[in-house]
Amino acid sequence: MDTLKRLGRTLLERARVLFEFWKIIFHTAESVIFRFNLGRKATLDVLLKQVYFTAFEALPIISWIALIIGLIIVTQSLSILPRLGGEGLIGEILVWVLVRELGPVFASVIVIARSGTAMASELGLMKSSNEVSALEVMGIDPMHYLVAPRVLGAMISVFVLTFYFEAISIFGGYILAGFGKNIAFSVFVDSIMQAMGFIEISVSLLKSLLFGLIIGTVSSYYGLRVKKSITEIPQATTKAVIGSLRLVFVADAVITILFFI
Amino acid sequence: MGTLVDIKSVSCYTEAGRPLFEDASLSFSDGERVLIIAPLASGKSVLIRMLAGLSTPDKGTVTVLGEDIAALAKEDLNRLRQRIGFVFHDSVLISNLKVIENVALPLIYHRSSLSYEEAMQGAASLIAETGFRGDLWGLPGMLPLYAKKEIALARALILKPEIVICENLWDGLTDTEKRGLSLLLLKYQESNPGSLLIFTALSDADAPLVRPGRVLRIDGSRIIEESRA
Repeated sequence: MDTLKRLGRTLLERARVLFEFWKIIFHTAESVIFRFNLGRKATLDVLLKQVYFTAFEALPIISWIALIIGLIIVTQSLSILPRLGGEGLIGEILVWVLVRELGPVFASVIVIARSGTAMASELGLMKSSNEVSALEVMGIDPMHYLVAPRVLGAMISVFVLTFYFEAISIFGGYILAGFGKNIAFSVFVDSIMQAMGFIEISVSLLKSLLFGLIIGTVSSYYGLRVKKSITEIPQATTKAVIGSLRLVFVADAVITILFFI
Repeated sequence: MGTLVDIKSVSCYTEAGRPLFEDASLSFSDGERVLIIAPLASGKSVLIRMLAGLSTPDKGTVTVLGEDIAALAKEDLNRLRQRIGFVFHDSVLISNLKVIENVALPLIYHRSSLSYEEAMQGAASLIAETGFRGDLWGLPGMLPLYAKKEIALARALILKPEIVICENLWDGLTDTEKRGLSLLLLKYQESNPGSLLIFTALSDADAPLVRPGRVLRIDGSRIIEESRA
């Protein structure tokens, strides 16, 4: 009986948190669509800073990881495919693995590690030090000024980083691993272009935007849930990371199943 | 004189159920200077934060500038708040904005007709009036208390509000600093004669600085008013 009660409570709590996520998504959509002109210069400034910190400053680390992942995948593919008589499949393998799956996932994991944590701790600190109340008292809606630009910034950043990751990992991987393997660059590019269909680009686009939405929403939610004590901030940051990772992987699985089964 | 704040039969309790004040009725009019005196944790912050819609009474109604605060929709409340300037006890500047951006933020956000440069100029000239001598383009985190209060006050006045509420403004300041901020507020009321100034303080030691027309004391759960000339 106790187990059932605990299960019921857990489910109710999860449903409540999901509802709160929906509220943040709704407020973000409402801010972008219906309140676009309200405080436009101030919110645009927050959005640009978010994109700068989340996307631009992540470029060096994304480049390194993309090169290494590209190197691993190209090396593995080029070692296995000739034995199976499938040398021509190199483009398809890279597109299936990097564009459909690893690009959006790796970009998201890096954004969670760098910016999801920063978002949750920054908002948590603002909440605990009454800065959120200070905005309210100025007639500035924190959902509109603080949360919506961060969620939108996370979406733009994951989208940009995903396509950057894919380009660097595919071509960087070829340069690092495939250069001496008797595959001409033009053949390699042709093979990639043939494998890259509308569905691959659409799935990558959909995943990157959805994952960015998840990261911005979950990180903002846990940041703003901090009440008065700064000791709550590390807990909020941890919850933001775990919550974002969990939802990103679930969303990834759902999209993959919907599109490719 | 028009009534700007009307508090009717308001009661507020702590989470533990202890009454902060009960059945309090007050009204403040334009041009007044009101000082609310009470010791720490006696409910004066709750009272003034209700005027800005940051907390709601457990019973009764609070009407500010003709609007019942508790009944307002979020957007209407935000519009009303542009007509109220609020200085928090601990100043509460936005930590990731530069000093000048802190003061300019209400202008940049609410006055879309102004350019960014105009908003910054407006903020800079108001900050100059406070006598602030720090770096306008620095972050506010390391500023001394007095400088933080100067900036918080400039931010509260930037939209030329009809009501200015200062929570324990003089706390932790030297006599010269207290006089500086008080003079600034008196000057503001002189140039905006219809404005209402509300101060809170722990004791009446600093009352002469702003020469309040009305003094209220929170004593137990009662708000007692004494008149002054």
